[in-house]
Amino acid sequence: MTIKINNLTKLYDDRKVLDDISFEVKDGEVLAVIGFSGSGKSTILKLISGLIEADGGEIKVDDGDIAMVFQYSALFDSLNVFDNISFALHERKEFRKKYTPEQIKFMVAKCLEIVGLPGIEEKFPHELSGGMQKRVSLARAIITNPKYILYDEPTAGLDPIASTVIENYILRLSQDIHATSVLVTHQMSTIKRCANRVIMLYNGKIVFEGTPDDLIKQDNPYTRQFVTGAIDGPMKITASSF
Amino acid sequence: MSKFNIIFRETATYRFYKLFIKQMREFLETVGNIALRLLESLKYIFTLQFKLSEVIEQSKRFAIDSLPITLTIVAMTAVIVSIQVAPELVKQGGKDYIGLLVALTMVREIGTIMSGFAIISMIGSAFASEIATMKVTDQIDALRVLQVSPIKYLFVPRILAGTIMMPFIVVIASVVGIIFGGLTAQMTSHEVSGLCYYTSVWHGLYVRDINIALFKASCFGGAIALVSSSCGYEAKNGAKGVGLATTKAVVWSFVTIVIIDYCFALFFYF
Ligand SMILES: Nc1ncnc2c1ncn2[C@@H]1O[C@H](COP(=O)(O)OP(=O)(O)OP(=O)(O)O)[C@@H](O)[C@H]1O
Ligand SMILES: [Mg+2]
Repeated sequence: MTIKINNLTKLYDDRKVLDDISFEVKDGEVLAVIGFSGSGKSTILKLISGLIEADGGEIKVDDGDIAMVFQYSALFDSLNVFDNISFALHERKEFRKKYTPEQIKFMVAKCLEIVGLPGIEEKFPHELSGGMQKRVSLARAIITNPKYILYDEPTAGLDPIASTVIENYILRLSQDIHATSVLVTHQMSTIKRCANRVIMLYNGKIVFEGTPDDLIKQDNPYTRQFVTGAIDGPMKITASSF
Repeated sequence: MSKFNIIFRETATYRFYKLFIKQMREFLETVGNIALRLLESLKYIFTLQFKLSEVIEQSKRFAIDSLPITLTIVAMTAVIVSIQVAPELVKQGGKDYIGLLVALTMVREIGTIMSGFAIISMIGSAFASEIATMKVTDQIDALRVLQVSPIKYLFVPRILAGTIMMPFIVVIASVVGIIFGGLTAQMTSHEVSGLCYYTSVWHGLYVRDINIALFKASCFGGAIALVSSSCGYEAKNGAKGVGLATTKAVVWSFVTIVIIDYCFALFFYF
């Protein structure tokens, strides 16, 4: 259950967002991807999940369901929380045959409990706060027991306690069901607690690859700048990076 | 780039052709996308891969929500036709043909095309903006990651709803139109009686016309749903993109049903 990425290139209107990058996500590992806003982190996740096509290189993903937690939740706004979370179970044949309505109800309740929002099945997405929507979208992603989970900033906008709950759960998913995960985040706390390995993107290239401890040791000018948030450093924020 | 090239790129001719080619490309892309989505939808429809509950839900929206507007528009058109022609026909001694004329225009053209326009402005635009919003807020991507085909989930129920419900709408609208046309004709001239009007309507109705009208209505309904959904699906770049997609959906739906209407007229009546 690995993801192998070789010489991946992605262009948006002649601009190279990802320039010939290669990396691997090992079985059961949580790989964190960091980098500035606009450095192509979400683009990597969209490429892995097959939502967009690469302009060069290849992505090899072993067989298995891929789930994704979107940066802006992407809940179906015409459906309530219950229907959102159970969506795949209702819409896909293989699950429809497998589970009875009672089982689905139970599974949804369990998933909501895990993300710390029990009993909100009847609510609609617009009645929830941004952080709550994020957690519902996590619940929707995990209900099918996917082999791969792609998290796009799962803890952004959450309070510290809710973040910890989600972090714990990300850890548990990788340990218990051996899910292989790619985790895009800006939060050092999340990286420290969850990630086995970290890669950092800048200008379409990987400028750092290592463990979270290496990241904090700050012997790489890029990571030092990222961790301390300094304006001076090798990375320049220009208009084109937005 | 050579100097000549740079100067050439500044010329109005170059810009004009560049814009023209861009527009043509967009046009062909839109047509191609609609055709592809139609094929994919047909695949799901003929293999019965759709949820009946969804189809019923969309049908309710399609027919019931739009009915007041549709009836108003068709009835008003009938009234207008009646006001314009009834006095003339009476003057020329053709009072026995008023009903025939109203019924013919209603059944053959106005009932269907006016209902189509009403449905586009109410339902087509709603379909488009709904799907466009889903597109720009990543909900379509979420569908795809969950391995549910957006065509199957969004397009098929809407297209079926349109195809099934449109004939009913047209029948109701045409009947209402004929009745209102009659009331108006009776008001414009006391020489026209109800009996005379409805006898004449009876002479103007042909089973063949009605069959063609029902078939045409079905095509309109399906086409409106398909074109609106497809234009909505193309949306990008946030709220502005939703607006653009909705406008495009309305314009393209109008053009599409007029073309379909033309084909019907050519094929069946020419
Ligand atoms: N559909 C698109 N069309 C054109 N350019 C795009 C598109 N999507 C993304 N981009 C560009 O690609 C770059 C990378 O975008 P991406 O969303 O991957 O960034 P990100 O690293 O996830 O940023 P953030 O941390 O803000 O979420 C950005 O500069 C963006 O402008
Ligand atoms: Mg992003």
